[in-house]
Amino acid sequence: MKRFIVVLLVLFLAVGMTTAQNLEVLWMGWPKDQVMPLINEFQAKNPGIKIDIQLIPFGQLFQTIEVRLASGGGTPDVYIVDGPNTASYAARKYLLPLDEYFSPAEKNAWFKSSIKTGTYNGQFVSVPYGTSSAGLFFNKAIFEKYGVPFPSEKISGRMTWEEVVDLAKKLTIDIDKDGKPEIWGICIEQIDRPYLLFPLMQSLGAEVLSPDGFETKGYITSDKFVRAASFYGKLFNEWKVSPQGINDSAIAREYFGTGKAAMMLGNEWNIARLSKFTNLQYGLAPFPYFAGGVPVTPTGSWHVGINPKTANKEAAIAFVKYMTGKDAVMKWYKLNGIAPARPDVYAALPADFSNPMWQLFLHEMNNTAVARPDTPGYSQYELILRETFNAIHYGADPKKSLEDAAARIDRELKRFK
Amino acid sequence: MFKSRGAAWLFVLPALILLLLFKVWPIGVSFFESVMQTSFSGRRSFVGFENYSYLFKHDPTFWNSVKVTFFYSILVNPLIIIVSLTMALLLNGGHAFTKFFRTVFFLPTAISFSVVAVIFAVVLDPYYGLANSFLKLLGLPGQPFFGSQDQALWCIIWLSVWRSAGYWMMYYLAGLQNIPKTIYEAAEIDGANGFQRLFKLTLPLLTRTTSFVLVSNTAFNFLMFAPVYIITRGGPRGSTNLLMYESYTSAFVNSDMGRASAITSILLVIILVFSFIELKITKAKFEY
Amino acid sequence: MKKPVTIKNILIFAILTLTSAFFLIPLAWVLASSLRPAGSLYEYANPLTWKTFFPANITLENYRKIFVDLLFGRAILNSLFVSISTVFFGVLVSSMAGFALAKFRFRGRQLIFVIVLVTFMVPFESIVIPLYVLVRGIGLENSYAALILPGVGNGLGIFLFKQFFEEVPNELLEAARMDRASWFRIYAQILLPLCMPAIATVVVMTFMFQWNSLFWPLVATHSSRFEVVQVAVAANRMSEDTSWANLFSAAIAGSLPPVVVFLFLQKYFIQGISGTGLKT
Repeated sequence: MKRFIVVLLVLFLAVGMTTAQNLEVLWMGWPKDQVMPLINEFQAKNPGIKIDIQLIPFGQLFQTIEVRLASGGGTPDVYIVDGPNTASYAARKYLLPLDEYFSPAEKNAWFKSSIKTGTYNGQFVSVPYGTSSAGLFFNKAIFEKYGVPFPSEKISGRMTWEEVVDLAKKLTIDIDKDGKPEIWGICIEQIDRPYLLFPLMQSLGAEVLSPDGFETKGYITSDKFVRAASFYGKLFNEWKVSPQGINDSAIAREYFGTGKAAMMLGNEWNIARLSKFTNLQYGLAPFPYFAGGVPVTPTGSWHVGINPKTANKEAAIAFVKYMTGKDAVMKWYKLNGIAPARPDVYAALPADFSNPMWQLFLHEMNNTAVARPDTPGYSQYELILRETFNAIHYGADPKKSLEDAAARIDRELKRFK
Repeated sequence: MFKSRGAAWLFVLPALILLLLFKVWPIGVSFFESVMQTSFSGRRSFVGFENYSYLFKHDPTFWNSVKVTFFYSILVNPLIIIVSLTMALLLNGGHAFTKFFRTVFFLPTAISFSVVAVIFAVVLDPYYGLANSFLKLLGLPGQPFFGSQDQALWCIIWLSVWRSAGYWMMYYLAGLQNIPKTIYEAAEIDGANGFQRLFKLTLPLLTRTTSFVLVSNTAFNFLMFAPVYIITRGGPRGSTNLLMYESYTSAFVNSDMGRASAITSILLVIILVFSFIELKITKAKFEY
Repeated sequence: MKKPVTIKNILIFAILTLTSAFFLIPLAWVLASSLRPAGSLYEYANPLTWKTFFPANITLENYRKIFVDLLFGRAILNSLFVSISTVFFGVLVSSMAGFALAKFRFRGRQLIFVIVLVTFMVPFESIVIPLYVLVRGIGLENSYAALILPGVGNGLGIFLFKQFFEEVPNELLEAARMDRASWFRIYAQILLPLCMPAIATVVVMTFMFQWNSLFWPLVATHSSRFEVVQVAVAANRMSEDTSWANLFSAAIAGSLPPVVVFLFLQKYFIQGISGTGLKT
């Protein structure tokens, strides 16, 4: 009888241990048919873990994350993190410190700037998933039609902004003289986002935030910053080589792809996404810099984080390691086209990445990329700056706008000290 | 009025429980937030009316938002009522084409405001959108629409009317069909013409519907923010910075629940005042 | 009923066509774009040609994509279920409360009325966090109940029924009471049939409220089996790109069910109230 009970107990325990762990994952709303193959593969390889993944539309993503985390529960177990928000989440203790789960050797697998973004107060808290870079795409047909030589596609031939404006002026064409160009010299993919505009300021040597991450006065109000911002404003208001009001990167891409803009300052994902414009012949020139300054390129993208209150820590770590691991990232690149945050993926897919455009981006990611600044108040810092850039591109005075912005931002950031 | 208290409570209880649980309790918490300030590390401290006084005295964007919001509301509410009422009047007959037009007008209501905003951003694109193509066809100059400080708010008004008028039209249709035909027949016998019938009969008889549409539409529009969030982000230069958008960004971007809740409390007071005025006006006109 | 073609009819038709132009044109363009092979967004918007509204190659590929690859049908079914359930319970609950507030004098009546009014003047965004904490606390998170219940109690609906019932003459109810009818019978057999327009209004209001909800379903549920239609539509806008063709086809496909529901309902509710015995 006793033996029977023991056997029963063992069976009971065995059943208990093989009951699946349920991981709640909050993810960016990429298409189901791209994400699910990865999830299914993970579940096939880890039969004890079941993934309940929620794909949230981008327009509601950050708000949903805020609500879920602010309510203090143990779910979601794993969630997608926009790189620069790492500091904000970590400061509010929404991210599990990961140093004990990732050895230094493992961390070497990612770009240094990505690791830096994923680190807060010396702790590694968000795992790099994707990264990014940007350059100057140009429409070969338009250049040819108007007899302008192509920009150099080599790093050594990097143009200055002054040279770019020159080209843009030549290629802003108003065919029917109605005051609205049919072809714009240059369009900016994310027209007012600090992500794409900081490199201009940083190229002049300006700093975008105090080292402690809490003050903008003196930084975004510095002469160099204002000078770069004025240059940016002139593109729309003085030289009129760039269209105002293009507030969606998908729309900027439409402009460029259908031949309404000769050049586009845009991200690496365009290599995949411009292919739908079958008539487009384009080239890629390096991200411009200011004469006398240093070349700077933007970088950074999605990371993955773990909720410190999760009840399924081992499963969460296994899932995160899988999704950010070389295999899954390779598959993800093939499905979605976003730049991987791991150099080994680039090496493993020579067919995709050996072309000169990707080689250019890789060079930038390794040499000129500057990550966005680290501050717990990144969201409001970015939003106010974005509104400021938006006003400047509509013609507001850069110096005054930036001074007003600095006052508003610093008031917000003070709350985080 | 009847005095059966037991019956009364039984009838009102399910709604009351649901409202208390899912509306009143969260609203209470939200008011509570407005007199607190939460530091980033989660420490909450009672600050009295400091959130409110900061808004009124030191916040540069608040008064601009109030101005923009009032301007928007005073324009959009009457516009929606006029458009939806007119459509209902025109589509009240039994003509063959009414079903088709009712469908067309109603369809935008089933598309969420976020998606309507995306559609309008594309249709009103300052250079290549559909609207400008039409203008070009008519020989008129292209317009910047959302890209202009002067036009952007009007475009949002246009968007709201496009999206909502069909919805309120349904209410007006229901109200219109609730008026018995005998009243019109009697009026015709008395020699009243079309206009007199409209203004002396139909409109007064629709007062209940109008007051309902007005009050709910007012609340709805004071709380509008989706087009601002998706397209203009308060710009160009603050010309579309609706109060609810300020509250929304305070809550979900700045994690400043205190400021967010203070703004929505202020909005609540504004809505109550407007609703009260509207109810008084429409009740005064009600004759049967 | 065939009416003669009068000048008035022609005028009405002309005005309607003009107004329709404003309404129809963006919709028609979206519809046409959804029936085109997925390609450039502005290709047919500028310049304007007949192809703008009548695609040269009509294809259903975009619709196939969202229904087959992106499981749009499931989203529609979820929204239908949630919306219809909320309507059913909402009409019941709101009409009962409206009845109580309109016809009974009891202590707390005014307070309840104020509560009812205030609840629809507060934006959802300001209550979402405490509401989520509450729903999670009572164990409803990630369920259909979480989607349905918060929408059942509706201040506007109660307000509407109250206004409507206030006009029902008390004599009608007193007569029934003298016949020893229970209050519930009076409610169900006398009042409800009388307030068809109010019911129609609350049905439309509640159904559309649930059909259009986007943020709450994202917060209150996390399993993909609960995905609702507006989430499925909005998901076509991603961080680095927008699938215009999918977005348009989803917007159209997602707006058709309510239209069908209401075309169907028009027959039952909006017309044919002549036999109500109230207004003679």
